[in-house]
Amino acid sequence: MKYFSLDKLLSLAFGLVVFWFFAFLYPFHLNYQEQYQMFLFSSDYFLNFFAKPGGISDYIGNFFTQFYFYSWVGALILAVLLVVLQRAVWFISRQLGAKPVFVPITFIPSLLYWSLFCDENYLLGGLIVMLIVSGFISAFLLIKPVNIRMGFVFVSIPVLFWMAGGAFVLLPLFAVVFEVVNRNLKVVHLSIFALVSTVFSYVIPTLCKSLFLQYPLRQVWIGANYFRFPVNVPVSVGIVALLLVVIPFALYYFSKIIKRDNSKILLVGQLIVLVFGASFLITHSVDMGKEEVMAYDFNCRMRKWDRVIAMAEKKAPTTPLSVTCLNLALAKEDLLGERMFSYFQNGIGGLMPDFVRDYTIPMIAGEVYYHLGFVNTAQRFAFEAMEALPDYQKSSRAVMRLAETNIINGNYEVAGKYLRLLQKTFYYKGWATKALATMKDEKLIAQHPEWGWLRKCRTQEDFLFSEGEKDMMLGVLFRQNPENRMAFEYLMAYTLLNKDLKHFLQYFPLSESLKYRAIPKSYQEALYYAWTQTNNDPTKDIPYPISNVIKQRFQAFQKMPGQPNSGSGKNEFSDTYWYYLYFVK
Amino acid sequence: MSEIQFKRYLLVSHTPNLLKGAKSFAVCQVPFREFRGNLYGILAFLLLSLTLVLSGCGGKVNPDAVLKEKPNLFPDYVDVTIPATIAPLNFKVQEEYTAINAVFEGKNNQVIHVQDSKEICIPAGDWGKMLETTKGDSLKVTVSVKQHDRWKQFAPFRLHVSETPIDYGLVYRLIAPGYEVYSKMGIYQRNLSNFDQSPIVENTLVPGSCVNCHSFRQSDPKNMSLHIRGQKGGTILLADGKMNVLNTKTDKTISNFVYPFWHPSGNYIAYSVNNTHQVFHEEKGSRVEVGDAASDIVVYDIKNNQAISCNLLMQDSIFETFPSFSADGRTLYFCRATHKKMPAEYKEVKYNLCSIAFNPENGTFGDRIDTLFNATAQSKSVTFPRPSPDGKYIMFTLADYGNFSIWHKEADLYLLDLKTGQTRRLDEVNSDNTESYHSWSSNSRWFVFSSRRMDGLYTRPFIAYLDENGKARKPFLLPQPDTEFYDRLLYSFNIPEFVSGKVEVDPNIIEKLVSGEKRVQVESLKLQ
Repeated sequence: MKYFSLDKLLSLAFGLVVFWFFAFLYPFHLNYQEQYQMFLFSSDYFLNFFAKPGGISDYIGNFFTQFYFYSWVGALILAVLLVVLQRAVWFISRQLGAKPVFVPITFIPSLLYWSLFCDENYLLGGLIVMLIVSGFISAFLLIKPVNIRMGFVFVSIPVLFWMAGGAFVLLPLFAVVFEVVNRNLKVVHLSIFALVSTVFSYVIPTLCKSLFLQYPLRQVWIGANYFRFPVNVPVSVGIVALLLVVIPFALYYFSKIIKRDNSKILLVGQLIVLVFGASFLITHSVDMGKEEVMAYDFNCRMRKWDRVIAMAEKKAPTTPLSVTCLNLALAKEDLLGERMFSYFQNGIGGLMPDFVRDYTIPMIAGEVYYHLGFVNTAQRFAFEAMEALPDYQKSSRAVMRLAETNIINGNYEVAGKYLRLLQKTFYYKGWATKALATMKDEKLIAQHPEWGWLRKCRTQEDFLFSEGEKDMMLGVLFRQNPENRMAFEYLMAYTLLNKDLKHFLQYFPLSESLKYRAIPKSYQEALYYAWTQTNNDPTKDIPYPISNVIKQRFQAFQKMPGQPNSGSGKNEFSDTYWYYLYFVK
Repeated sequence: MSEIQFKRYLLVSHTPNLLKGAKSFAVCQVPFREFRGNLYGILAFLLLSLTLVLSGCGGKVNPDAVLKEKPNLFPDYVDVTIPATIAPLNFKVQEEYTAINAVFEGKNNQVIHVQDSKEICIPAGDWGKMLETTKGDSLKVTVSVKQHDRWKQFAPFRLHVSETPIDYGLVYRLIAPGYEVYSKMGIYQRNLSNFDQSPIVENTLVPGSCVNCHSFRQSDPKNMSLHIRGQKGGTILLADGKMNVLNTKTDKTISNFVYPFWHPSGNYIAYSVNNTHQVFHEEKGSRVEVGDAASDIVVYDIKNNQAISCNLLMQDSIFETFPSFSADGRTLYFCRATHKKMPAEYKEVKYNLCSIAFNPENGTFGDRIDTLFNATAQSKSVTFPRPSPDGKYIMFTLADYGNFSIWHKEADLYLLDLKTGQTRRLDEVNSDNTESYHSWSSNSRWFVFSSRRMDGLYTRPFIAYLDENGKARKPFLLPQPDTEFYDRLLYSFNIPEFVSGKVEVDPNIIEKLVSGEKRVQVESLKLQ
């Protein structure tokens, strides 16, 4: 096989693996990324980015990130961009005279960036920076007359700084090393070139900062948002960036010393190291726990309740946020009372999480409040999640929720404002246009399966949100609409998870308005347990229709060794309320 | 963008050939002259002229229908009173149309003719000249819209151009109307005679910080106070060009300094100190409730770097907040409410407008508190008392309860005539939605106030003229370069304050001062 086709084949294989990884193994990280930006096709949006060094890279990054809405499209984009980066490194290396045998080494920057993208806080703008810088270095290499090449560097410094931020230093750095290696310039000229480049590199960002940029100098220097938290110094990205310069020159030197007869062994050796290295790197970079939470959340966001339950059937959720999503899905499918203890429960924190000043928890918890009918709280959580984004982005998901909650509350002017913004997006335009039309007709809102229902559920009675009194809030909500089965089941679940049987028994009669055909399993378990604890005469008939199976199971449960975590009853009774009551702390 | 500009200029400059009234040409020729020497401009001009001729639109409008009604504009500039130095009042009609035409007629037969497919954007140069020559008189504005290839002309309206000047600009904070978490925000200044807005300080300068409560000594841009909250927080004090960062928490005050008001002498700043909390409503008509669990008032003596107060302003059984000095500096106005258990009794907190004597010579207070407006008697609550610089009035906000009126839909502006003691609701400027913060111009004839009348959430600045009899004219929304500006903006205009000139502050110095460790510690409270 000829080498020139081998390098393309390797690039293709690499691209396919990256695509497969993000499309099938890690797709929800991409959905997660998409929701925390809102790319608008408007001049204002562009100018916002353009006004800051590195902003153009962020803008292009956000442009691509919007397509992560469909994870397979996102996977394709990432695969293509990472391959382009590899091809750029290969092109630069070849220009310097690297031998084809070293092609595997040119995959290292792309591999490293792939591993960075396993962390949901690394943003695509960073990769765009690498591509832009690679493009400028490639252009530099294509210019043959040395004077023009030097001029190109000087002109490119401010342009590249504005497009890609601090990574612009790679170009003069590369240029100086290149000229040193090739001895194209006299020492004096080279020194002047290096000095002027250094002065340019220092003065331009400093000048921009002092004249019109209200950011700390460090942030002006870094420029693009490589990481969602702009105050962090992205050291890992810096290493990848340096490799863009180091690898081509290293390959240039390797190519000088390598003997032809060793090339096949060398190639195979490199490929083996690359494959094993990549496997090690990626397996140590992925966080499947987060991926699971993101999957639960995405399916909740898309109202795919059956998928959430199916996920839990396959592998029981263990993190508080995935339990939150599962409980929500169970409630939406009218299964919360029946099956909630079939899965791990971590107390009321997994039912209605408390507000936290970040951008993830309020977004997920807000789904629960929204579907219950706490419209104001859902609105607040969405707003706060969006405001908490450290890179000052707006969130398409949050803006959608703000529009929805304002429609439900009848605040059409402000809902319209959000919808008109969403009309400038690619994926949400259709939804926003339809929502704007719906908003004009009260009948259509009333008939809307979600908004109409939530309008009936939302409270007319004003009260203040209280983290410590969620059962009270649920009670007020249910009293507002006694058909709000979800509110009732959350109220019951709240008392059960709180091991508060007194209030469980007090609230249980409220279920009358919901006309259950049979008392849900966990309620039967709680009722029967409470009955056995308060009545000395077990032969006396319990005033609730408790199934014989539950009675028999409880008797068996009572006989099991009473040591918590002994394991003896775990498999048999872990799906019961009694087990939760006794053994889950 | 440039294409739109070209089109607009083209239409204006094309007018002379189509209009018969030759005297209107002068104002229309300014943009045309700008094209000279500009190859692209000329090419665009020729191209668009051809398009114009072919499409048959533009030029004088011969209406197919003339209505008796005035147009429903956005922003609503119909019959408003404006200062002669205000930026162009660009607008659109709130109807569907394919073209809009406006003719502005001023004194001396001056005419500006603008036609566009979307909105009326008035050429700034012509507008400025027209206002200058029409001072004390009014412009006649005739608006037409083209619908289904027919021009519909509305009844003309007037723009009254006041002879009374307005200050140079406004300073406001732009912040998302959120709850507890904040994102990017900043304090910005806006030149009222054009659309230039520039940041004074943005919170990106010191990551994680919040900037708030900017205040000026009677609109003087050289004397400013503002707070930066966060780990590296402090109060920035700019006094006669010298800047310091103060640590304003003392061992005898309950918090850092909060709501400021400068003494006219520039020697003192009155601040409230507040222990503030937020709670959140579940009912659809309300969102946020901000209240104080405790609050007091102190006066900061700038020269002696000392907080001073008196027992009457620091009572445990009383909430005292929103201080402001009278025009002569001898009275301190403030809001005062009986202490209630918070947040349980938040609806029971009702503030009266009170005053106490203040002696600026020695920084001492009087020995009694007077109630100027007994809001409690009406089961209402006063916030933001702002005396006019001429000493005639106090403007304040009245809400049903509490002290954070921006979240109260019922909040309205009121005017207390200090000569007669009469208070009246400013119906000329109030709306069905929130009116809250307000600020006087340095000559007391203009005031700017924040209102949520546009969409119920995002606060926007409105400016109104107050005549010599204390009667306010219809307010107008702060003009912007295009009519969709406010719809796109996800920020509220917070605390709009007039300034008499540009605030010349180097943000790099603010950054250096705030990022550094050095703080001027305000000396402990001197209680009289």
